[in-house]
Amino acid sequence: MPQQILRGAVNNKGGITLDPRTKIFVAFILGVVLLTGGYNGGMAWARPTLTAIPLVLLLSVRKWGAAVGYSLAFLASYFAMTYLMPITSGPLNFLVMIVFGIFLQFLPCIMMFYFVFSTTTVSEFMAAMERMHLTDKITIPMSVMFRFFPTVNEEFGDINDAMRMRGISFGKGNLGAMIEYRLVPMMVCSVRIGEDLAAAALTRGLGAPVKRTNVCSVGFHIQDLIILAVCAACLVAFGEWYVSVHF
Amino acid sequence: MSDQKNVQSTKKTGGKLNAKDLINVGIFTALYLVVMVLCAMLGFIPIFIPLLSVIIPLVDGIVFMLFLTRVKKFGMVLIMGIIISLFYLMGGMGSFMLPIAIVVSLIAEFLLKSGNYQSKKKSIFANGFFSISVFGNFLPIYTSRDAYYQMLASSSYGADYANTLMMCMPDWSAPILFICCFVFGLLGGVLGSSVLKKHFKRAGIA
Amino acid sequence: MCTSDQHKTVVSLKDVTFAYAESENGASIKNIDLDIAEGECVLLCGMSGCGKTTVTRLINGLIPHFYEGTLSGSVHVGDLDIPHIELYETAGVVGSVFQNPRSQFFTVDVTSEIAFGCENIGLPKETVLDRVDKAARELNVQKLLGRDLFELSGGEKQKVACASVSALEPKVLVLDEPSSNLDMTAIADLSDQIARWKSQGKTVVVDEHRLFYLKGLVDRVIYLRDGRIVDEMTWEELESFSDNERAALGLRVPDLTMLSRQIEQKYAQSGDRIHRNRNLRLDTSISAKGQVSLLGLSFSRDGGATKILDLQSLTLPRGKATAIIGPNGAGKTTFARCLCGIQRGARGVMWIDGTSYRRRARLKKCFQVMQDVNHQLFTESVEDEVLLSMDEPDEQQADAILDSLGLLELKDLHPLSLSGGQKQRCAIASALAARREVIIFDEPTSGLDRAHMQRVAENIQQLEEQGKTVLIITHDPEFILACCSYVAHIEGGSLAESYALDHEGYRRMLAFFMVKEKRAEINAMDQKHSPLSRPL
Repeated sequence: MPQQILRGAVNNKGGITLDPRTKIFVAFILGVVLLTGGYNGGMAWARPTLTAIPLVLLLSVRKWGAAVGYSLAFLASYFAMTYLMPITSGPLNFLVMIVFGIFLQFLPCIMMFYFVFSTTTVSEFMAAMERMHLTDKITIPMSVMFRFFPTVNEEFGDINDAMRMRGISFGKGNLGAMIEYRLVPMMVCSVRIGEDLAAAALTRGLGAPVKRTNVCSVGFHIQDLIILAVCAACLVAFGEWYVSVHF
Repeated sequence: MSDQKNVQSTKKTGGKLNAKDLINVGIFTALYLVVMVLCAMLGFIPIFIPLLSVIIPLVDGIVFMLFLTRVKKFGMVLIMGIIISLFYLMGGMGSFMLPIAIVVSLIAEFLLKSGNYQSKKKSIFANGFFSISVFGNFLPIYTSRDAYYQMLASSSYGADYANTLMMCMPDWSAPILFICCFVFGLLGGVLGSSVLKKHFKRAGIA
Repeated sequence: MCTSDQHKTVVSLKDVTFAYAESENGASIKNIDLDIAEGECVLLCGMSGCGKTTVTRLINGLIPHFYEGTLSGSVHVGDLDIPHIELYETAGVVGSVFQNPRSQFFTVDVTSEIAFGCENIGLPKETVLDRVDKAARELNVQKLLGRDLFELSGGEKQKVACASVSALEPKVLVLDEPSSNLDMTAIADLSDQIARWKSQGKTVVVDEHRLFYLKGLVDRVIYLRDGRIVDEMTWEELESFSDNERAALGLRVPDLTMLSRQIEQKYAQSGDRIHRNRNLRLDTSISAKGQVSLLGLSFSRDGGATKILDLQSLTLPRGKATAIIGPNGAGKTTFARCLCGIQRGARGVMWIDGTSYRRRARLKKCFQVMQDVNHQLFTESVEDEVLLSMDEPDEQQADAILDSLGLLELKDLHPLSLSGGQKQRCAIASALAARREVIIFDEPTSGLDRAHMQRVAENIQQLEEQGKTVLIITHDPEFILACCSYVAHIEGGSLAESYALDHEGYRRMLAFFMVKEKRAEINAMDQKHSPLSRPL
């Protein structure tokens, strides 16, 4: 039975399990290489390879919907850029660029973040960071953030709904009010939730000066090595490209 | 049994960071990042990119000033700065961020400590210095302009975007943007402390 | 000194006085002396602001380690001197469950959450896994293991919170208004869990407004007022109070069956709403006067694949208060969102007096007082909040509205600094200023004591008098009895039944809420029958 619980913690849909450190590293590489790298030289193959990684990972944990959505969104943006950019001009061209170009640029990273956040539990995340010998001065705030992003998102949605109901979504035409009406309740609610959360965590012993146990076994397996090898190769290609344009 | 009758006041300043402090760092860093990302959306339009050095220090000043009401010990601002720069790094915003964030956070830390975490003026200056880290985002444009241009032009942003951006960010704008970050950081601090007074103190969370 | 006459004292508060450094954190207490024996279940009750939450925070160490202030006196749990040891040292001994299921989990998935406490205090891995397994089975949440906590209902979240505390195997359990945000099934589950903890010999301290689910569990009742313990009694004594005596003490009913007696009393009074409600027979035609008709109100997710709400037709009395009841997850909140127009992609039409309102039009016609009312207060003063809702700000009219809700003296205060009930009234004021006709409340009485509940009921009657149609999503039969005229029961996303709250209607409504009582009956029957069925 304990082993079954373990599996539940690691992955709720079954499929291939990656070490959380691998996931964080891949997300990191994706961000650096795709967002700051060019298109020529080794990047010509590193780029599509890295773009495909989120798709492979999503499929590996059987997140079919997300995988299909990612592919469709990517292809749609790609074709829009290829076919619409040359035939439009002026502001329309600019609009196409903003909508599809930037989407295309960020989409792989967004999907990778989605993958990391939806398949990593706080427990795993903390285990991974402990293995990387980070102090709990970093681990605790980071794990709170892990928990807090969805909360802020929920709060923001509720506040927006309330504003629509009051007919003040646009702050009655005042930009300052528009920001103020969102920011103030969001911060007040977040701070209060944060306080409850802290109280609940502290009564369950968070911050005890003992070595924290971790129920999930983190460790590198063959699948981690494959993914890491691919990323390393892309990183080498990126390095080559970087040297070629900078020096 | 020892005498337990003595009244103890439990307000603490200084000392080591405890779990409550670290949770507060997490909460406010999350808020800071959310606000920053929402502001950065404006950067989709290249002429707004230099404006980010105005908007982010200003709006995030509100978050930062509320955060400072929780900061009573050395290290909280530094941790926030490090985590934010790690997120920048993941978002591909350049490798200058970490050292810059550490330096400006440390300046803010010492400033706050010198005011015993009470001084409003020093809190405002702390936001000024902390906001300089926003400038780190622009550094790749100035330090390796050609490479950056090439990257942008060949990417899906396209040559038009790259040209406009380069036009918006000429070399001489570097010191201006740097100063902007600091000055609007100060103004953000002032704005933040007025929002504190107008809302958060009265709502009972500051 | 740690032994009383028969039982070992586990929790001991001696002459404790505490005042918060920030007064908005809670009510101060004065000279509290309280000894709780091992295995005892103690209920702390009293009106809001009496300091009962403060007492629970002294036992679990949140005071003085989390909530700062000035403290004198001594607090001991077993041999532990709570104020003088660190919070994490208390963690394995005292377990705490809080009011809001949404804000008390630290991780994002069920398994990590249950293991969280054990991991923190560094128990060996195998032990942690065993305990997670045991706690999950005890609370019957094995099926939830590995699930995303954000997707769970409030009741499920509260069960996970209990499991997480249970896994630490504490001697003492402190529950701070744990039923506030739960539906009746979840409350019955909570009641079962407290019984289980008791049978394991654990000491349970619970502070609550809703009392009925604690019947048969509580050994001693402590009544607080203004930060002092003013009375101590048994459960039987608590039950023996008349309704008027209870009202004076600000206490809710200790047994739901008492409500059926109240219904009969109402029936005996000729002028009561119960008689008027008998004439509340609604037409099905959309053009009929005096009613609000909802046609085809529906919403589905995933491109039509998952139907969340599918109401064929629902007719409600106009200018009256209707209770929307049903278990958690039945679609009540979605119903409210669709009705007031904030749910994008919602279908259906609302008819009032032959005029139809589609989704966007309903945004201007309806108003929802949200469960977390903090989300809908935006400005820096109560008066500005009302003025913001007016097309043309008119201070005189704003003052008149505030006066009618008893908020005039508070008009310069920050809305977010008000108490829960005042915030709710502030939201009502903004709805009145915007001349909204249909006003929806989402669980307006969660966590309220009797006096505040009564106050909300009065506000709702006031709205009725102004001709507003009021819909109230609620799990609180006492409150329905106090102010509603009609019931719409939603189950599985569609309308199960709707009826007027006449004599028969009240009984039907009450029967729906008696989950715990029904369970007890079934258990009793099982016990009676089991010896007979075994030999086969």
